[in-house]
Amino acid sequence: MGGELIYVYCISDSPLRLDHVSEQESLKCLMLQGFYAIVKQVSPDEFSEENLKKNFADLPWIEIHARDHIRIIGEVMKNSTVIPFKFGTIFNSEESLGEFIQNYSGSLTENLKNIKGKEEWSVKIYCNRTLLNQQIVEISEDVRTLEQEILESMPGKAFLLKRKKVELIEKEVEKIMQICGQSCYDELVALSELTQINNLLPKELSERTDNMILNVSCFVNQGRVNELLSAIGELQKKYKNVGFDMAVAGPWPPFSFISIKEK
Amino acid sequence: MQENVINQSKDITILEILDRVLNKGVVITGDIVISVADIDLVYVGLKLLLTSVETMREKRLTIVKSNQETK
Repeated sequence: MGGELIYVYCISDSPLRLDHVSEQESLKCLMLQGFYAIVKQVSPDEFSEENLKKNFADLPWIEIHARDHIRIIGEVMKNSTVIPFKFGTIFNSEESLGEFIQNYSGSLTENLKNIKGKEEWSVKIYCNRTLLNQQIVEISEDVRTLEQEILESMPGKAFLLKRKKVELIEKEVEKIMQICGQSCYDELVALSELTQINNLLPKELSERTDNMILNVSCFVNQGRVNELLSAIGELQKKYKNVGFDMAVAGPWPPFSFISIKEK
Repeated sequence: MQENVINQSKDITILEILDRVLNKGVVITGDIVISVADIDLVYVGLKLLLTSVETMREKRLTIVKSNQETK
């Protein structure tokens, strides 16, 4: 029996409360080197390097634990500024976690200072290209002009122009997605302290039929969150006719805006 | 109005959660480390699982369609 291991959720430089966290019986707040860490004692049967690796191949196991990881950090975060730890960060003992904190204390303090008073929100923009294709005549003057030209042309020329129209529509759809996407992004940047562009999540995993065209994490001053949300609401209305839809989620633990370096 | 914009955690897909809790630039490592390769395998597993759900859904649709056609 190798003894219990320490699973770390998050860390802060001020005392962390657990009383409002649901299912908190197994959690505890450790004070180490002037920092406070929310941890859980876990069994090597589940979390030793070898067993953790095995469990990582078990999706239902991952889903339960990853959701729990986010939930617990999220609940602690409601009252305090915390640095979230990666899912599955395990230390062999409290001493070992203490050593880690000592080695990284400068960076931990610096990061806590940077994230204080800010929230991470994720914003995703989707585009329904079918809808945009249908609307393109109304939106694009070039397409309208070409359509008029087709109407006024002899059959031979009209045939050629129709082929040109297919190409033009494709080009215009790309252009409009680009322009409107950029304009949404510019507005998000203006309202955020920092932004990070993330990978687009593949369509087959998103449970949606339209395409993700932008995936951004916004780091926003708490006082401006409402402003951000209503701006997104406005953008959503403004660009509905080009097939845009926006999904906002948050506040997330600030995973995207943390960088821990050894001293 | 804001409530319509925010979708809270129960609606968040597991992919989005994993994208955050596993893949971000949080350099912190504990005594026990899960390698990048192991993390990549999670995504492969997730993709396979969801793709097979999708394939099943498509198959079901095809079956429904062919049933309707034969009627």
